[in-house]
Amino acid sequence: MNKINFYLLEYAYSYILRHKNKNIFIVTVFTLLVALLATLFFVTSSLRYELKERIANQSDIIIQNYKAGMPAAIDVSVLDKLLEIEGVTAGKLEVQGKYYFRPKESTFYLLGVDAFEMQDDPVVAKLLEQYELSDSEMLVSKNVQDIMNQAYYKEYFNFIKPDGSLHKVSIKASFDVGERVELKNLIIMSKDTLREIFGYSADEGSDIALSVANKNELEFISSKIRLLLPNAKVTSKDDLLLEYEKLFDYDSGVFLSLFVIALFTFFIIIYDKANGLSSEEKREIGILKAIGWCVEDVLHAKFYEATLLSFFSFTLGLGIAFVYVFVFKAPLLGAIFTHENMLEIHNFQLNIHIELSYILLIFLLSVPVYIAATLIPSWRVATLDADEVMR
Amino acid sequence: MIKLKNVSKIYGKNIKALQDISLEFGEGELIVLKGVSGSGKSTILSLIAGLSKPTMGEVIVDGKKISKLPDHFAASYRRDNIGIVFQKYNLIPELSVEENVLLPLFPLNLPRELMRQKAKRVLEMFSIAHKSSLMVRNLSGGEQQRVAIARANINDPKIILADEPTANLDEKLSCEFIEILRELKSKNRTIVVATHDPLFFELDFVDRVINLEHGKLL
Ligand SMILES: Nc1ncnc2c1ncn2[C@@H]1O[C@H](COP(=O)(O)OP(=O)(O)OP(=O)(O)O)[C@@H](O)[C@H]1O
Ligand SMILES: [Mg+2]
Repeated sequence: MNKINFYLLEYAYSYILRHKNKNIFIVTVFTLLVALLATLFFVTSSLRYELKERIANQSDIIIQNYKAGMPAAIDVSVLDKLLEIEGVTAGKLEVQGKYYFRPKESTFYLLGVDAFEMQDDPVVAKLLEQYELSDSEMLVSKNVQDIMNQAYYKEYFNFIKPDGSLHKVSIKASFDVGERVELKNLIIMSKDTLREIFGYSADEGSDIALSVANKNELEFISSKIRLLLPNAKVTSKDDLLLEYEKLFDYDSGVFLSLFVIALFTFFIIIYDKANGLSSEEKREIGILKAIGWCVEDVLHAKFYEATLLSFFSFTLGLGIAFVYVFVFKAPLLGAIFTHENMLEIHNFQLNIHIELSYILLIFLLSVPVYIAATLIPSWRVATLDADEVMR
Repeated sequence: MIKLKNVSKIYGKNIKALQDISLEFGEGELIVLKGVSGSGKSTILSLIAGLSKPTMGEVIVDGKKISKLPDHFAASYRRDNIGIVFQKYNLIPELSVEENVLLPLFPLNLPRELMRQKAKRVLEMFSIAHKSSLMVRNLSGGEQQRVAIARANINDPKIILADEPTANLDEKLSCEFIEILRELKSKNRTIVVATHDPLFFELDFVDRVINLEHGKLL
């Protein structure tokens, strides 16, 4: 069995073609199952990778103030207290937040900047080198500009403040976010302007970002801060990582039901196969034995048959998933992964990032199972006396 | 050459297909097994081919106890020594004539050129070479039988077993088949034909006609 027998391979191939209808059904179900699983794994491994990269760009610890269980402004005086904690090397008061624009049902992401501060994000840093923002100006992403244009805001935009009055900010320029899809709804303006829009006083911000010298101390310092500020929400990089991991618990109903259906059908195929061969299939095995094939030869051919079919389906399913996820960026899949944390797939680039262990898992779940399901009934028939063919 | 020693074959609990049969055929003999339907003709052929095992007794071919061979050896015994022409031809309709003829050799993984030569030889021998690339499904009954005979001879077997070879043929084709048998016999093949076609009972080159009834010799 160590050398490929091309005669048996051709025989197996023609056998598949001769039972076209049945095999088309099997290939369809098999491919669908593999494609479904692979899509899930491609998307998650790609998201996971991207999230980790994003987290890497973030501040080590973020502190938000809560009042009566609701996010609230945080005072700059807190920052002074935090900077005294040992191990904290730097910190800044940030002004940023979401802004829901109802007419277009869009959520903008407003970032307040200070020309004197270092910017962590290279995209923002580059923009600030390019443009000097006055207090009545902002930079908007191309996507935000489109949305505003649709609402007939071409030169400026009116933000609604907490007290209901309007605050007008003019659009200085728009920028391209390139591959950084997570920035597609970004608006950049000065911190003071944003404070005005959010109704903060001059000493307040939305959160405080800290840098920590030793990343192993993240947890320790976080707990210290929690003691110091009982009303604050303290999120470290580690916490974010953990939270994102939880997103991949696949508790989504849509995916699960699709998966169950495909799996169910797959097991019907297995069951059907294990239940025995048709009389025509039995007769053919009888003929082969009568003309001098031994049981091993029959199984050899059947092995090729099952291998051809399952490898073909496996590769096809994998290919479909690859094109669907990485070329077409998973259209229609957004809803499936949307979690309470609003992790929307289309806010990600879905760059090719594949974890081989998952592919191996799909392979082991399908191909050997199918081969065994083909071989076992054939073996049972082949070991019987072949005198049926004489009748 | 072929020896059946006190052979009985019982199917299920009490379908006695053969009862205590003893027979001996010599090399190069042409034997006709005769009897009504259900008398046990096909069963004898199956036993000689090693396709089934006797319930009692022994089948010995060329000094080998066929009735005791494990599958692997029974298969190569069949491939090297036995050519069977089935009543229903038992070809694979969707394969070409050449592929059908070569099917017994597929597991051997021989070089392509050798395979082609072997196919050419038998296809020419039984005058069906001109159809070698056609699908068997598209052949007439007589042509299909030629393919079946060619397949049975692909390995130059010493023994040819034919089960009701003329049941599906008209008289002209039956006569052609008999001519083929004559030729095979002239090559010193041992031939066993199971039939109730009277054409065979009068032939000058038949060595023996064996009469079966209810699994017993008459
Ligand atoms: N696999 C089997 N299971 C049960 N009974 C069988 C089996 N094979 C043969 N028989 C029975 O054994 C008897 C002999 O069958 P066999 O096929 O040898 O007859 P035959 O002489 O070849 O008949 P025919 O002319 O119809 O081909 C019959 O009664 C048949 O029903
Ligand atoms: Mg019969």
